[in-house]
Amino acid sequence: MNDNTAGVRLVEVEKRYQSVVAVRSLSLEVPRGTFFSIIGPSGCGKTTTLRIIGGFEAPDRGRVEVSGQDVTRLRPHRRPVNTVFQSYALFPHLSAFENVAFGLREARRPRAEIQERAQEMLDLVGLTGREGRRPRQLSGGQQQRVALGRALVNRPEVLLLDEPLGALDLQIRKEMQAQLKEIQREVGTTFVYVTHDQEEAFAMSDRVAVMNGGILEQVGEPAEVYRRPASSWVAGFVGGANQFPGLVSEVERPGRYVVELANGIRRTSPGVAGLKPGQQVTTVVRPEDLWLRPVAAGEEEPETAATVLDAAFLGSHRLLRLASQRLGMLSASVRGVGQEAHLGEAVALGWKDEDGWVVPAGTAEARPEGAAAQ
Amino acid sequence: MNLRRHSFAVIAGLAVLLFLWIPLVAVAINSFNRNVIMTGWSGFTTHWYSQAFHNQPVRAGVVSTIIIGAISTAASLVLSVTAGLWWRQASGRARRVFDALVYARIILPEVVFATALFFFFNLIHLGLGIGAIIIGHTVWNSAYATLIIQARIVGLDPALEEAAADLGATPWRAFRRVTAVLLLPGVVTAGLLALTFSFDDVVTSFFMGGAATAPLPIVLFGLIRFEITPEINAVGVLFMLFTVAMMSLAVSSFRAGESVVRRGGADRLMGMYRR
Repeated sequence: MNDNTAGVRLVEVEKRYQSVVAVRSLSLEVPRGTFFSIIGPSGCGKTTTLRIIGGFEAPDRGRVEVSGQDVTRLRPHRRPVNTVFQSYALFPHLSAFENVAFGLREARRPRAEIQERAQEMLDLVGLTGREGRRPRQLSGGQQQRVALGRALVNRPEVLLLDEPLGALDLQIRKEMQAQLKEIQREVGTTFVYVTHDQEEAFAMSDRVAVMNGGILEQVGEPAEVYRRPASSWVAGFVGGANQFPGLVSEVERPGRYVVELANGIRRTSPGVAGLKPGQQVTTVVRPEDLWLRPVAAGEEEPETAATVLDAAFLGSHRLLRLASQRLGMLSASVRGVGQEAHLGEAVALGWKDEDGWVVPAGTAEARPEGAAAQ
Repeated sequence: MNLRRHSFAVIAGLAVLLFLWIPLVAVAINSFNRNVIMTGWSGFTTHWYSQAFHNQPVRAGVVSTIIIGAISTAASLVLSVTAGLWWRQASGRARRVFDALVYARIILPEVVFATALFFFFNLIHLGLGIGAIIIGHTVWNSAYATLIIQARIVGLDPALEEAAADLGATPWRAFRRVTAVLLLPGVVTAGLLALTFSFDDVVTSFFMGGAATAPLPIVLFGLIRFEITPEINAVGVLFMLFTVAMMSLAVSSFRAGESVVRRGGADRLMGMYRR
């Protein structure tokens, strides 16, 4: 086994509950030492995937490897993996210190080492002075840190986190995001983080996997997933997206297509590999990539005119809702002076060819929760 | 207070006093009464207590009562904890069948069970005596214990055991360090209750005891059939005190356990709400 073995590798893992497929033939590689997130709507199989890695669910098919070791048949207590549970699952009868020391005691470490490592971990997660408190005497954020410390103190090969910030207030949540990322860098452990919140995942992760209906839709760096989504569904899930249906009229060169949009607009944009002439596609343009300009009085109506329906002020930018005769409903994000739009105003809009992204046409809907087995 | 409006309550109250508490108080007083035929107060004595203490059948009765109580309680606890842990992960249908079996043991008249066991033991040639009584007591004691332990298990988050396993605890270690500790208040309550019920059981003990074994309630029952002496009062008072002590321990440990569960449950509810 060499140094570039994956932190976690799943090979064609499948899990069904009666007639419902929770995870369908999932193959996934988590590079060692990375902060890796699995995102998707509820019921997409992300928590099941995490529980399969942790050993709490046995896959019906496939193989699970941690650091190159096949752990598919190992029970949870034999896996070099620790978990931060969604409900924290702190032991209510034990102090913060004893919660953190639990794994070390199970591993029968010497007394002095337990004392030292548990204290060190409590310091790292910012609980110095709270060692003797019971879980219910701690705030939600503090409980969350006990859960994190309790898992990390065992120096696992991989740390699994199941929506650990879900129960926290927005502000503490943002703080914890930063701290989690910092801690991950400090300890260098592979983190596999499950959340339904794509923003949270993007903020923390080196890589992101997007799941939908038990199927892996895309894996990549956050910017890649956002700028170069693999499907229309991913584009919509990971942020605001204008999606224009069209047909490929020409493959200019591999990965670059001339697309005939509805109503005769032709644009040349990059897109996912392997699209064929005549194929139904969708061109994705992010709201911040649309440009707008007022239509001067007496000007001939531009090709892509639209009317401002609504403008929401969001602090750093404004989110406009527009209606265009040829492109339908649009959303555009604008910032700075000269971009103030007035309700009811007619504007011309467009985007740079490079800012469009062509994906196969597909349903933008989430797959039904747990698609039925074939 | 308007006595006429509350006349039913007043009559009921008087009846309770008359038939329940006055006899008990009379027993307590007479246990210290020098008068052998208990027709009046002839002075204070602790003689009956020392006589009861030296009465051979009473002493034998106490010994067998303790043995029966201890063993049937222990057996009931093992059965009910095992059943409770199984019940937690059982399917809905299996749970309903199981619950029905538990309730049946509580609802069905004890005398029916005792008769059935009597015939069954005859059929399999199991001799009557202390062993038969222990089995008989365990049959319905384990039902009460199961109800109490189920109440604790419902409040136990399964993620706690997963967390223990995740942190390297073997199934047995996880049970000892987490599950057992959290179930302990329920186990104590169930145990005290089972012990109390076993101590003052007459019906099952009577059917299962045969000629050889007579726990204390049966001994008492035998004594009053021949002659009523103040000695019975002394035994009765001691018995009463013991039972009351057990019951209040059981109630207080159940309350303590319940409040822990309730707090835990509330926290979880809050957590779900926030999500």
